[in-house]
Amino acid sequence: MLNIKCPYCGDRAQKEFAYGGDGTVKRPELNKEVSNKEWDDFVYMRKSLRGKHIELWHHISGCRQWFRAQRDTATHEIFKTAKISEEI
Amino acid sequence: MQKYSIFSLIKNAFSNHQNWDLAWKDPTPKKEYDVVIIGGGGHGLATAYYLAKEHKITNVAIIEKGWIGGGNIGRNTTIIRSNFMFDENAAFNEFGMNLWRNMSQELNFNVMFSPRGIINLAHSDAQMNTYARRGNSMRLNGIDAVLLNREEVKKMIPMADFSDDVRYPIFGGLVQPSAGTARHDAVAWGYARQADSMGVDIIQNCEVTGFDVSAGKINGVRTSRGDIKTKKIGLCVAGSTNILAEKLNMTLPIEAHVLQACVSEPVKPILDGVVTFGAGHFYISQSDKGEMVMGGDLDGYNSYAQKGNLPTIQHVLTGGVALFPFLSRLKMLRTWGGIMDMSMDGSPIIDKTHIDGLYLNCGWCYGGFKSVPSSGWTFAHTIAQNRVHELNSGYSLSRFSNGYLIDEKGLGTKTWIS
Amino acid sequence: MSQEFRLNNEGLINRKKEIIFSFNGKKYTGYEGDTLASALLANGVHLVSRSFKYHRPRGFFGAGVDEPNAKLQVTMNGYSEPNVNATEIELVKGLSANSQNCWPSVNFDVGAINNFLNRFFPAGFYYKTFMWPKSFWYKIYEPFIRKAAGLGVASVEKDNERYEHKYEYCDLLVAGSGPAGLSSAFAAAKNGAKVILAEDKPRFGGTLLTDDVTIDNLSGKDWADKIISELKEMPNVVVKNRSQVFGYYDHNMTVMFERIGDHLEQKSKFTPRQRLWYIRAKEVLLSTGSIERPIVFGNNDTPGIFLSAAAKEYIKVYGVLVGKKPVIFTNNDSAYETALEFKKNGINPIVLDTREEQNSQLVQDVKNQNITIKFSHAIIVANGYKKVNSVLVGKLNKNKTDYEKTEIIECDCVCVSGFWTPTVHLASQSGNKLSYNDKIDAFVPDKSKQSEKSIGAANGTFTLKETIENGFKIGSEASSRITKKNNPITIPKSNELNHNPHDKFWCSPLPKGKNYKRFVDFQNDVAVSDIEIALKEGYRSIEHVKRYTTLGMATDQGRTSNLNGLQLVANIEKKIVPQVGHTTFRPPFTPITIGAIVGREIGKEFMPTRKTPMHDWHEKNNAVFVDAGAWKRPRYYKQGNETLSEASRREAKNVRDYVGICDVTTLGKIDIKGPDAAELLNRVYTNAWLKLPVGKARYGVMLREDGIVMDDGTTTRISENHFHMTTTTLQAANVLSHLEYYLQVVWPELNVNVLSTTEQWAGLSLAGPKSRDVLAKLFPNLNVSNEALPFMGYVEGSLFGVEARIFRISFSGELAFEINVKSDHGIFMWEKTMEIGKEFNIQPYGTEALSTLRIEMGHVAGPELDGRTIPYDLSLEGLISNNKDFIGKRSLGREAFKSDSRQKIVGLIPVDKKSSIPEGSHLVENKDAKLPNPKIGYVSSSCWSVENNNPFSLGILKNGKNMIGKKLFALSPLKNTVIEVEVISSHYVDHEGKRVRS
Repeated sequence: MLNIKCPYCGDRAQKEFAYGGDGTVKRPELNKEVSNKEWDDFVYMRKSLRGKHIELWHHISGCRQWFRAQRDTATHEIFKTAKISEEI
Repeated sequence: MQKYSIFSLIKNAFSNHQNWDLAWKDPTPKKEYDVVIIGGGGHGLATAYYLAKEHKITNVAIIEKGWIGGGNIGRNTTIIRSNFMFDENAAFNEFGMNLWRNMSQELNFNVMFSPRGIINLAHSDAQMNTYARRGNSMRLNGIDAVLLNREEVKKMIPMADFSDDVRYPIFGGLVQPSAGTARHDAVAWGYARQADSMGVDIIQNCEVTGFDVSAGKINGVRTSRGDIKTKKIGLCVAGSTNILAEKLNMTLPIEAHVLQACVSEPVKPILDGVVTFGAGHFYISQSDKGEMVMGGDLDGYNSYAQKGNLPTIQHVLTGGVALFPFLSRLKMLRTWGGIMDMSMDGSPIIDKTHIDGLYLNCGWCYGGFKSVPSSGWTFAHTIAQNRVHELNSGYSLSRFSNGYLIDEKGLGTKTWIS
Repeated sequence: MSQEFRLNNEGLINRKKEIIFSFNGKKYTGYEGDTLASALLANGVHLVSRSFKYHRPRGFFGAGVDEPNAKLQVTMNGYSEPNVNATEIELVKGLSANSQNCWPSVNFDVGAINNFLNRFFPAGFYYKTFMWPKSFWYKIYEPFIRKAAGLGVASVEKDNERYEHKYEYCDLLVAGSGPAGLSSAFAAAKNGAKVILAEDKPRFGGTLLTDDVTIDNLSGKDWADKIISELKEMPNVVVKNRSQVFGYYDHNMTVMFERIGDHLEQKSKFTPRQRLWYIRAKEVLLSTGSIERPIVFGNNDTPGIFLSAAAKEYIKVYGVLVGKKPVIFTNNDSAYETALEFKKNGINPIVLDTREEQNSQLVQDVKNQNITIKFSHAIIVANGYKKVNSVLVGKLNKNKTDYEKTEIIECDCVCVSGFWTPTVHLASQSGNKLSYNDKIDAFVPDKSKQSEKSIGAANGTFTLKETIENGFKIGSEASSRITKKNNPITIPKSNELNHNPHDKFWCSPLPKGKNYKRFVDFQNDVAVSDIEIALKEGYRSIEHVKRYTTLGMATDQGRTSNLNGLQLVANIEKKIVPQVGHTTFRPPFTPITIGAIVGREIGKEFMPTRKTPMHDWHEKNNAVFVDAGAWKRPRYYKQGNETLSEASRREAKNVRDYVGICDVTTLGKIDIKGPDAAELLNRVYTNAWLKLPVGKARYGVMLREDGIVMDDGTTTRISENHFHMTTTTLQAANVLSHLEYYLQVVWPELNVNVLSTTEQWAGLSLAGPKSRDVLAKLFPNLNVSNEALPFMGYVEGSLFGVEARIFRISFSGELAFEINVKSDHGIFMWEKTMEIGKEFNIQPYGTEALSTLRIEMGHVAGPELDGRTIPYDLSLEGLISNNKDFIGKRSLGREAFKSDSRQKIVGLIPVDKKSSIPEGSHLVENKDAKLPNPKIGYVSSSCWSVENNNPFSLGILKNGKNMIGKKLFALSPLKNTVIEVEVISSHYVDHEGKRVRS
C-alpha cells in the first residue's frame, strides 16, 4: 500500500485516497473555440510515461481535497505532493 | 522443421532426447527487412507468423527487448472468450475463436486450448438484464451463449456460496460454453517456432532506441544491436506503447497500468471452467496443473512496475472468498503483475498511423491474450495490404475523434477504474 | 510408544506431553513441540509423499520452509487442508495427516508407472503430443491430464475460523531472530526505537538453536533465550514468533503472517486462526538467514536423503535421528557439525567430502572423533526405491569430471550439504537488485532501494562473530537515526570453530553409460536432463528454462533448486551464473492462507450494508429488499402470497389511482453553497441554471467530458446562494467527486462549497392523485395548492414540529411531492404519513413499482444511462442549452454523435398486447434473417403498464425518431422469444405531462 502525503493532512495510507489520473491535463477554457485536436487531446490523449509522473489524487476518505503528486511510475516512489494552487 | 508427435517423442526418447532441433534460432539482425515487428510477445509473434503464412512476407524481423513471451502473454490468466456485446468485438473475437480451435494442429505445438466455458455471474435482476442484452447480441451474432438462473448455476458450480450468509446472492449467469483457457507460454513458443521455420528472424535482447522517420515515412529502426532498414514497422508492444510512441512524437489514448494476478497451490480439480464474480471484480479458473488462477482489479494508478501491492490482492481475494468460500482454506502461492495498455474506451487499436509505414497494435487493456490469433491475423493483413481488414476496421485510432467508440463497459476515460 | 528414533537427551520438545496423531490411518505418538515431520521421523516414517509428475516416492528433505516434498493433506480442528508442509506444521492433539497425489496408497502408487516411462515424459513433452486426432484432445487427453492435476484436495466446506488484520507502524522491523536478528533488535531496542522482531518458527534463535557456539560464555540457545526475555520486558518492543514476514511492498510496507490458532489444543471462538499484519516500518532489517542447498546426484530424491542442516535440526531441536547409519555428503565444512551431532549421540557417520584433504578446526574436530572422512569423494547414485539403503560412491578425478574408483556404502540416511544460499527474497521484493558473490556462489543483496538492510547470513555473512558485530552495529545505527539516541553497547564475545572455504562442486557427474535421474527440483520432478533438453531446444533465457521445465514453480518456489538450476544453465551455456541471471522473487515467501489475506470481510460483511432510517419499518411490513449499490431498498411489500409482479402492479396501480409512498432516502444529496453556486450548476448541467428562482427545482442532466450522460436529477434553489442537488443512488459518490474536481482543480476561482448530505436527510416520495390531500393534512398550516406550490416548486414546513423540506417533483409522472426531514425523524415522518394517508388509501411502494411508473412515463434511469448514451439518445436534447458552455458540450459535436441514424429512445408495445418483452432483447427487422442478424436496437426496460394494462417497454433504437409506427421484432434467443412489437413514443402515459402539473 502506498504511503501518500496529503498536503493538507500529512502522511496517510493509500486506502484513504482515490486516484485522479494525469495531473498535467489542462481543460480548455469554457466558451473558447478549440480545435478538434486540442479537444481530443484533452479528453483522450495521455503521455503515461515511465518515470516521473505528475498526477492527481483525491483525499476521498479524509479532507476531500484534490492535490497533485509527483510519482515514479516504475518504482512507485512519490517524490513530492503539492496543493493544486502550488507548483509541482 | 522437425514435426512434433507421439512418434517423434518416442523416437527421441531412445536417443535420450539429444536430437531435438532448436525451437527457434538466434540470428544476428540483418541490415534490412521488409517488415520489422517490434515486440516479441503474443501479438508480435502471431503477426509475424501470419505475415509469412498468409501473405508470404518472410523477410521479417521480430525485435524483442528481453526474451520472447516475457510480457503479458507470459503473465496473463489465459482466458479465451468471445462473449462481447458489440458487433465489432464479437466478430473479431469469434474469428479468433476459430483460430484457437485449430491452433495446436496448425502450429504443431500443443497450446492446450481447453474450452471448458466461462460464466459471468449476476447478482441482481438489473445485472441479469445487462447480461441478457449481451447474450442475445452474442446469439444474434452466431456466438454461443446461455443465460442460467440461480438453480442452473448451482448445478454448474455447487461450491459457490448459495447459503443465506452472503451479501450479494447469485441470481444467475451468462455462459459462453465454447470459451476456455490455453497454456499461455505455449502460444508464444508455438507461433515463434513456426514463424522461425518460415524464415522470420526472432531477435531477442534487442532494444529499440529510436526510429528513422523522414518526410512522414518510416525508413528504419535504431536498436541496441544496430540500425535496421525497413519501410514497414508493426508496433506490438502493449504495456510499453506509450514509451515507444514518445520516440515517435505520438500521444495515444492509452495509459499504462499494473494488473496483478495470483495463483493458489495446486489442488485436485474442483472448478471446471472460468467463473467471474458479478458483485466485485474477480475471476478464477483452475489450470491443468491444479492451481487456482485468479485476478481482478488494477492497482489503480499509472505504473510500469511489474508488481503491485497487497491491498489489491486482498480486495480481489475478498471477492473470491465471497463467491467461493472454500478458497479461504487454500494458500496463495504466487502473485505477479503485468502492465496493461489501458485504452480510453476499453477496446484495442489495430490501425495505420499518420506516419507512412508505421502500424499500430495496442490498447489491449486486460483482454489481449484471447485476441492473439485474431490480432496477429488482422494486423498482418493491415501491414501487408496497407489497409485495415473489415474485422479490425472498428479498432481505428480515429474513433477517438469521430466518436465511434466501442465501450463494452461504459466506463469512459477513467482507465484505472475499469 | 515406539518412537525408536527419538533420543533421550536431546531436543527442545516437551516430553511431559505426549500427543497422539494419525498418519495414513495409523496412530503414532509424538511430543508437544514436535512438527508433524519430526514426530513421523521419530517413528521411523520416511515415505510420506509422491512427486507431482513421476509419482516417485519421497520423504522429508528439510526441516522447515525449505521442504520440497512433504506436503500432506492435514485435518485439524475439523478442517481438511491440502498441501500442508509437514516440516512446519506443529503437532497438535487430534491431528490427522494423509499422503496426497497417490492411489491407492503412498506405499503402492499406480501413478508410479510414469516413473518407469519417464524417458517418454521429458520437459515439455506435452507441447509435442496429444494433438492427433484433434477431437481426442478435448475428449481424452485433456480430461486425463486434468485428472492428474493438483496435489491435495480442497475441502468445499465453509471456513468458519477467524482471520484478523492488524495495521502497525514501527521504527524497525527485524525479520528473523537468529544471531543477526537478535543482535540488531537488541541494539535498536536499547536506543529506544519501537521494534518488532518477527520469527517464522515457533522457537526464537534461528541457527543458535542448533549450532555448537557460545556467546558471552552462554550456549547459543541460552544467549538467545536471554536476549528474547529481555526484549519481551521492554515496552518499546514487540516480539512475535510463528510470524513470517512474507512480502516487501512499496513505500516500506511489509506484510507479516502470524499463526495463532492451529497449534493450540483449545481456543475460544474469538481466537483467530491467523493474523495478517500490515507493517509500515521506518527501517527494515532482514535477518532471514540462509537455506542450505543440496548437491545434485543420481536418485538424490530417494526418501532418507536430507539436507545436512535439517538432520542436525532434527537432532538438536526435536531429539530425533533421521537415521542410524548416516552418510554425510558435503562440499563444505558445515556438514561436519552434523557429523559431530551424530557422534555425540553414539552414531558413527561416514563423511564424504568433495574437497581434497581439509584441516580446518571443525574438520580436525571430526577427525579427532575418529569419524571416517573420505576426501575427494562424491555420491554418484543413491540406491533403494522407497528408502535409501546404500550409496554408490566415487573417488573424484582431479577435474572432478569422473571417478577413479567406486564403492558401495550401506546407509539408512544421507545428509547432504552443497553450501548456503542467503534468503534474499524480501530484499529482492523491495527492489534491491541482487549481485552475485562468487565467494559463496550465491546472490546477495546489493544497493538498497528502500529503507532495508540485510544482515547476517541473509547478506552472505556466515561467521557468528561478524554476524553479531554487524547486527549490533547496524541495529544501533539504524535506530539512532530515528531516535537520535546512541546508548553504548558492548558487543558480546562469541566462540565458534573456523570453517574452510567450500568447494564449487554442485552436481555429481554421470559415469559413462549411466543415465541416473539427477533431480534439481524435487516437487516438480525437474532433472538435469530436462534442463539440458530445454537449452538444446533454444529455451535459453532463464525465464524460458523455468517455464519450459517448470523449474522452481512448485509450491516450494525453488528454494532449494534455484541456484543449482542456474549453475547448470551457466555450465551448459558456458556462462557464469550472474550472466544467466535469476528469475524474479515474488511474494509471498511461503504460501499464505487466502482466508488470512481476506480477513473479516466475509459472508454478509463482504461489503458494507447501508440502511435508510425507515429500514426497520420496511422489514416489519414484509418488504422484500433489493441491493442498490451498498443500499438496501424495498423492492416490494409482499401481501399474502403475492408474486413480485402481482405486488408491484398493485403498488403501481395504487399510485396511479390513489397515493403511494416510497422511501427515496438513498438518492444522493449534495448541499451546494456559495456566491458562485448557480454558476457551477450552469457549467455542470447541460441546461441553464442562472435564472432559476429561489424556491424552485429544476431537472438537470450532467455529462462526462466525452459527451456521455453521467447522471441526472433535480436540484433546488433553497436560497440565492444555496442549492440542494439530488443524484441517482448509484452515482452519488461519483458526482460529489466530480464537483469537487471541477471546483478545486479546474475552476478554483469559483467560490462554492459542496457537501454530501445523503445521510443527513431522510426522504419520502408521495405520489398519486391523492398526494396533495395527504400533504395538506401533514402540513395543515401550509398552503399546498397548485398555485402556492406549483410543479417544481419548493417550500419548507413543519411536520408536527419537525422541520421539513417539500419539493414538488415527480419521477412517477403523477402529481407528487418529496418530503425530506433530518434522518433522525425519518421514521416519524414515514409513520405519520402512513397514518394520515390511511383514509386516502395510501400504500407503500417499492423500486419495482417505481420502475413501472417511470417506464410508463418514459423517464430514463440506470438501464438507459449505461455510460454509452448521449442526451439525444434519451430525447433529452431539449435540455441542452445553446447559449452557454458546459462540461462535455464540445464532445457532442463529434460525427458519430450527430449522425442522422443515431439511436434514440422509443416506446415499444407487443403487437399482441400480451407478450412481455424480455429486457435485453434486441430489435431486428427480419426475425428469420441468417446470422449475424443485423440488430438495430435493444430493449432497455420493460414493465406491465398498469395504466393501459398491457406490456410496455423502452428501447434504444437506431434512427429511432423516424421509426415511430414501424413494426419490428424483439428477439431474445436466450429466452427463446420472438415478439412482434410496434414502435411508439416513449411517453406512454400522460404524454402532455398534465398530471404532474395538476
